[in-house]
Order: sequence, then C-alpha cells, then structure tokens
Amino acid sequence: MAGEGEQMVKLVSSDQVEIPVERKVAERSMLIKNMIEDLGAPGEEPIPIMNVSEPVLRKVLEWCTHHKNDPAPTQDDDADSRKKTTDIEDWDQKFMQVDQEMLFEIILAANYMDIKALLDVGCKTVANMIKGKSPEEIRKTFNIQNDFTPEEEDQIRRENEWAEDR
Amino acid sequence: MAMSRSRPRHRMSSASNSSSSSSSPEREVDDDNDSFMQQANDSQSSLGMDTSDDSSEDAAARRAHEQRCRVSPVHRLPAELLIAIFARLNSPADLQRCLLVCKEWARNSVGLLWHRPAMSNWENIHTVVRSIRKADKFFAYQDLVKRLNMSTLTTDASDGTLMGMSECKRIERLTLTNCSKLTDLSVQPLVDGNRSLLALDVTSLEQLTDRTLSTVAENCLRLQGLNVTGCRKISDAAIANIARNCRHLKRLKFNNCAQLTDTSIMIIAAHSTHLLEIDLYGLHRLESPAVTALLTSCPHLREMRLAHCTRITDSAFLDLPPGLDTPLTFDALRILDLTDCNELGDKSIEKIIQCAPRLRNLILAKCRHITDRAVFAITRLGKNLHYIHLGHCNRITDASVEALAKSCTRIRYIDLACCNNLSDVSVIKLAGLPKLKRIGLVKCAGITDHSLNALAMGEVRNGRRLGGVSVLERVHLSYCTLLTVEGVHTLLSHCPKLTHLSLTGVQEFLRDELLSFCRRAPQEFNDHQRDVFCVFSGNGVRDLRQYLDAQRTQAAIVAAATAAAAAAQGPGEGSVTMGEGSDLGDGDDRDAHSVSGEDGTMMVNVHPNLFHAAGTAPAVSAPTAAGGGNGAGGAMHYPALPGQTYTWQPQPHHQHQHHWTHQQPQYPHYAQYHATGNNANTSTTTTAGPANLSSSAPASTTGGPSGAFLWNGPPAPPPHLSHHPLAAAAAAGTAGPAAGGGGAQHVTGMMGAAMLDDVDEAFGEEEEESEMLGD
Repeated sequence: MAGEGEQMVKLVSSDQVEIPVERKVAERSMLIKNMIEDLGAPGEEPIPIMNVSEPVLRKVLEWCTHHKNDPAPTQDDDADSRKKTTDIEDWDQKFMQVDQEMLFEIILAANYMDIKALLDVGCKTVANMIKGKSPEEIRKTFNIQNDFTPEEEDQIRRENEWAEDR
Repeated sequence: MAMSRSRPRHRMSSASNSSSSSSSPEREVDDDNDSFMQQANDSQSSLGMDTSDDSSEDAAARRAHEQRCRVSPVHRLPAELLIAIFARLNSPADLQRCLLVCKEWARNSVGLLWHRPAMSNWENIHTVVRSIRKADKFFAYQDLVKRLNMSTLTTDASDGTLMGMSECKRIERLTLTNCSKLTDLSVQPLVDGNRSLLALDVTSLEQLTDRTLSTVAENCLRLQGLNVTGCRKISDAAIANIARNCRHLKRLKFNNCAQLTDTSIMIIAAHSTHLLEIDLYGLHRLESPAVTALLTSCPHLREMRLAHCTRITDSAFLDLPPGLDTPLTFDALRILDLTDCNELGDKSIEKIIQCAPRLRNLILAKCRHITDRAVFAITRLGKNLHYIHLGHCNRITDASVEALAKSCTRIRYIDLACCNNLSDVSVIKLAGLPKLKRIGLVKCAGITDHSLNALAMGEVRNGRRLGGVSVLERVHLSYCTLLTVEGVHTLLSHCPKLTHLSLTGVQEFLRDELLSFCRRAPQEFNDHQRDVFCVFSGNGVRDLRQYLDAQRTQAAIVAAATAAAAAAQGPGEGSVTMGEGSDLGDGDDRDAHSVSGEDGTMMVNVHPNLFHAAGTAPAVSAPTAAGGGNGAGGAMHYPALPGQTYTWQPQPHHQHQHHWTHQQPQYPHYAQYHATGNNANTSTTTTAGPANLSSSAPASTTGGPSGAFLWNGPPAPPPHLSHHPLAAAAAAGTAGPAAGGGGAQHVTGMMGAAMLDDVDEAFGEEEEESEMLGD
C-alpha cells in the first residue's frame, strides 16, 4: 500500500477538462475514493466529477493537496465542529477568501464530493459571516431580498422573541 | 446516546421538509402534521438546486432561479447546506435573526431554533408557551420542539408551566429531572399522543403515578431510555407494561424505586433484550433470580448497577446457566456495581470474573464478606480493569492488593476505604500504577508517610520516575492518623494535578493556619464532623501547597542565616565541615530542619536528602507507629518494608553519598544547631530525637530516591544530578520554591485540563460518598 500515495488519477470536470492528480490528494474526497475502489484499476480510466466545473475543481484540489496528510476524522468531529464556529485554521481562512460565487461553489462541491472537512470549513466560514449581524445586515452581505411583508416580519419577530439577546 | 445520534438527522428532516413544502408557510399551520412531516421523505438530494417549490419541469421557474442565484449566490445552497450552516450558529439570537432575513431562511432556521427552546427563565418560558399556544402562528412551532428540558427550574416548574407545552407531540427527549412538583396532571397529557419520545427522565417526580407511565406504554413505542429514579408511586405493573410495549428499551434507571420487585424486572429481562444499562440502586426487594435473568437474557448489557440490593445472594451469579459449548460469558459487561450487596461472598466474585472477563468498573464497596480470594480472582481482569472499589471490604490484606496492582496495571481509580488491614505495602505497590488518578484510603489507619512518598514518586524504575508528571488528581486520606504535614507536602510538591485532597480527622492538619485552605464542611454535618473536617479541593490544594512551600522557604532562610552565623563562630566542634558546605545549605533548603518541642526536647525533622544519599550512613530508623508523628526524615525515604525491594540506581547519587557519608559524624550537631534557629518553623511536629538517628539504617535505604531531587525549591541541585528530570525542574525553579512551584503548576496546568477530557469514570461524585463512608 505504501506506493499508492504516489499514484496518479485523472479527474474530469463537468466542463470536460481532464485534471491529473495524486491519488492520495483525490482520495480526500470520499466520492472519488469509493469510485477508485469500485473501478478497480485506478489511474487508467478518467473519473468524471459531474457537478463540478474546472475552476472549482482546481480550487477544491488545492485544498485537498494542502490537507492530504491530515489524520482521518474521528467520530466526534461533528460534536466538536458545532462548538467552535470561529475556529478555522489560518491557511483555511485564507483559502476561503474568495468571492461568494466561489465560496458557495466550493461548499456545493465539498458536499457533492463528500469532503467533510472542507464542507465544515465552508459552513463555518459562512456562519461567521452571519454571526452578530442584524437581519438587514445579513441581507446586505448576501444580497438577499426581503420577501416578508412588514406585518409578517413583525409577527415572526414576536413569536420568536424568546431567542433574542437580553 | 441514541438520542444525540438521531438528532442531526431529525433536525435536517424537520427543516428540509419545511423547505420543500409549500412556499406559503402560513399554510403549514393548517396542514395535517403528518403530511407535513411526510414530505421529509422527498427532500431534495443535496446535489440538486433548490429549485423553487413548484415543479422542476417548469423551465421558467428554473430560469428564474438561475437569475436569482446570479444576483445572490447564496441561493445556490440547497436546504440541507443552509441548515448545515445555521447549525454552526450557537446562539439562538443569531438563529432568530436568520429567521427574519427571508422566507427561505426562515423555513430552514426555524427548526433549529425550536429544536430545544430555552426554558431557563420565566420570561423565556412565557414567550415560548405563548407562541406555541397562539392560534394563528407563522410556523407550527409545537411540532419543531424535539427536546424539552425543564431541569434547571427544579421545584419552580409547576403543572401549569408544563401544560403550556402539551401540544408538543414530537418531543423526543423529555427531561424533567428534579421538577418534583410536577404530577400526572401535566406530564400525562404531554406524553399522550407522542409517538416520537425516545428518552424520558422524570427523576424525583415523586407524585407521578402509573397513569403517566401507562400512557407512555401505550403511546411512546419508540422509547429507549427511561429514568424513574425516586418515583415511588410507580408500580411493577406499569413497568411491566412498558417493558411489554416498548421493545427498544436500552437504558433504564429505577434508583430508589424500592417498591419494585422481581415481578417487573423479570418481565424486563424477558422482553428488553436490547438492554444496555440498568440501574436498580436501592431495590431492596430485588432477589437473585431477577439478576440471573437479566444477565442471561440481555447479552448486550454493558452496565448493571445493583447497589444496596441487599437481598441478592451468591445464587444470583452461581445459578447462571452453564454455556452450551464454551462457558457462558458476558463480554459486553463493563460496569458492575454491587455496593452493599452484603450477602455476596468470594464465590460470587469468582463466578462474575469468570463470566465477565471484560469488566472495567467493579464496585464491591461494603461487600464485607469478600476476602483476598475474591481480589485474587479480580486480578484476572488484568488490563481491562480501570476502576475498583473495595471500600469496607475490610478482610482483604496487602497480599491481594499487591497482586491486584501487579496484574491490573491500568487501574485509574481505586478505593480501599476502611480496609484497615492494609499497610504501606499496598499503597507503595499501587503508587506504581502509571494511570492512577484517584486513590481512596480513608480510614486505612495503618498507612504512614511512606505511602505518601510512594504516591509522590509514582511509577519508579531504576531510580527514575516514569511517565513524566504525576497524573494523580484525587487522594482521600481522611482518618489516616499517622500522616504528617511533611508527608502531605511531599505529595503536594510532586503531584501538580492534584485537585482533591481529603485529610479529615488527621490530627496534624487540624490547625487553623492549614484549615484556612480547607473547603467548607457540608451543611448536613454535625459539630463533631465539622471539627474534624479537612478537605482541600481546587484552589484550596494550590493554596495549601503554596503555603507549605513558603513555610519551607522561610525555614530555609532562617537556617541559612543560622548556618552562616555558626560558620562565623569559628571552628566549633564539627562546624568546620559544615561551614564548608553550601552543600549543607543544600540540605537545609530542602527542608532539613528541626524544631524544639514545647517541652524543650529536641524535635528533629530531617530531610531525607541526608539519608538517602548515604547508603551506608546516617542511619535513620524507619518511622514506626510508636514514634508518634514520625519525622519527615523517615517519611522521605523508603523504609525496608517486608518484601519491598527498591532498587534505585545509586549512581546518580554517588557524589552526594560520599558527601554525606563523610558528614555523618556531624549529624547530631547539625540537628542541634538547627534546633536553635528553626523555631519559627512550626510546620512539623517531628519528634525523632537525635538518638533515633543513630540506629541502623534499613538496608533498602541504599540508593533510595533522594527527596532532594523531588523538591522544586532552591537551590539548584548539583550539576551532576541535573539530568534527572525532576532535578532539572528543580533547577529551573531556583528563584524560590514558590516561584518554582508556580511555574510547574503553570506548565502542567494545561496538561491537567487535557487529562480531564479523559473521562472514563462513569461515577461523578463517588468520592464524596467514600468520604462519607469513612465518617
């Protein structure tokens, strides 16, 4: 098994661009890892990544390369990650400094490719963009249109006022 | 817990289905709840776009969505991912603000917000209830509540409070612990119609009756966990009913439901084959066959607590059926609590060990009949054993405890309270357990400072402590009346993680200046108990350590000054050699000091340094009980206890050894002149007079561990010793003992915190109990 890390595989993005990548890097994605295991002859057949375009795939692989030696996630990762939302390591923070289009594409790709740690970083990044902001500030941040009538907004506010900071 | 595992999934489905349901949230209120939930099944795959709620064939809608996404890319996220993001928001306030952003966000955050509404203060409860009971509300909040925990309200929670929540029929986890004013009036309607309940905790709802429990049995068929601790009105019939209907029971707690009998427990055994934990604490009427049945028919049983089930006899275990081919074993069983099952004898224990070879926690406190034979059987658990309680098993002796320490090397917790046959031999063996965090020795009256020194040193091989810093956290020494301040100080100095130290009834500690660091006696204690109460915890331990360190420094300064004065006096008898010695000062600083007794007799408190270093000489007799308040000198070295062989390598001490050998003749003077200078030091009541010092040294003191290496006070140890890890630590602390100690604490403090994560003790305040047992 020792040599497998050096092995290369070919990924094909949704826009049909072939990207060769180290197998170990690609296998950060459970989707790809399973596909490689299913295919049996890794490296020969290109692996299609249907829902991810070339620029996003390259970006995701950049993350995978940096994290290729990370230890396998443990069982209680879920519980942990919920607690510390602001806890994103420096490299990841910089990695996530992209426009929102790319940010959400990365999250979608991480979800599709089943890369839990990247999905986690993505979700944390967005959560941090939400924290402490008023509804109006959140709308501005994400360019969301308020589709509530003033009456509805007021009603929801009242019905959920127990959750407000006091 | 199954609950927590299912939680994220439920969160997802509850919210994602709301997102895939009608675009007009108001309609949901009128929707039938079930259809509302069923839509969860066709929630979109995470890959799909969150195509708007109408039809995906509708190209126009798709185009509209694409347009929307171009304007605000966040709309690309499907409901699941939006929820995953919202789940990172810890504060309800953040979630509430998300709720107000837009309808899509509202649908996807409301489930998270209401998953577990805050019920911690009246204002919150009032508004929560008001929203739930509101006629024309925006969301069906009552169906979003999955967890309801009123336990922080305790007796403030009334039926009126809880009735406001009775529309919440999808609660999965209902926790009403200690809300003892609640009755059937509010609990029964709440569980009526609830098909989702997984866990119910009604601890100490003493007024609760079979009415509520029958409703649970009829409705909550998915129930897995039931805690009816202290619910005295619940009958066998109700429990049997639940066992028959709820076929997924995994965790049951019936503590102090003394009214329950074999009748219901046998039915549980027959029906609840998935059982993982059962706690039958205080079921006085329980008899052996119920225990046999539980063990036989619940192969997954991991934890069984039978504390104070006093009618259980050996037959509970001896009647276990033999296996067909191989002997019957309960490989899953990890925790067995037989506290006060005082009919049990050695045969039971032998059988248990044979059947449950992977036991991790075994509590046999007050199983007074058991002897060494049982403990020898327990040694067969080997490394599996982490926790053993043998308090009040006062027939056991050093022989079996030694064997236990030898075989079960992963013991983290051991309690031997009131095992008054035990001596230092046992503790010295146990001290070598590398993972030992807690040791209970309450009323082990035979133990002396030797035990404390051994605990301070931890696991020692070839004269070196193994495994770095001591992991010892809690030490119970109440009523170990032979212990001295000096011995305890040694323990404190080397166990930076110590957070609990009990010394109730230890005469040497019943002094105001020491008691000032002690924590307050529990309210229920009587006057006598208060008088002898002496427990240090948390900062108290730290403060005591600092105080004793400071005392030592002060003594050292005085001693050094005296030494200087003595040297200046010119060549008095023997003072030449002493004067030469900063080495002497060395010994001094490390606590070789003496005080005058009140009656003017010489009281000598000799630092072991003086002796250990010298294999051949200054002989000090090991402290004996007769010595009364034995000196730290004795305390600091390891005496030749029968059967003990300490083989510290003498090499590192060679130089020292010569030095002190050579000093030996001076010793009486040394002691004497300190007697003049050290009166200020009252931290010892040592009475070993000079005469004692001349008796022959126990052979095993040869190359004994030098206490000096252990002190982290000044001055730095001689360079040739500094390779010793502890000596190095001491060297780093040359600024003074207080500073050195503080530094060490700082460094290890973080490690201490990390250790706390290693919680594999299933027993919270068991300590306190052992404390009480001792009293």
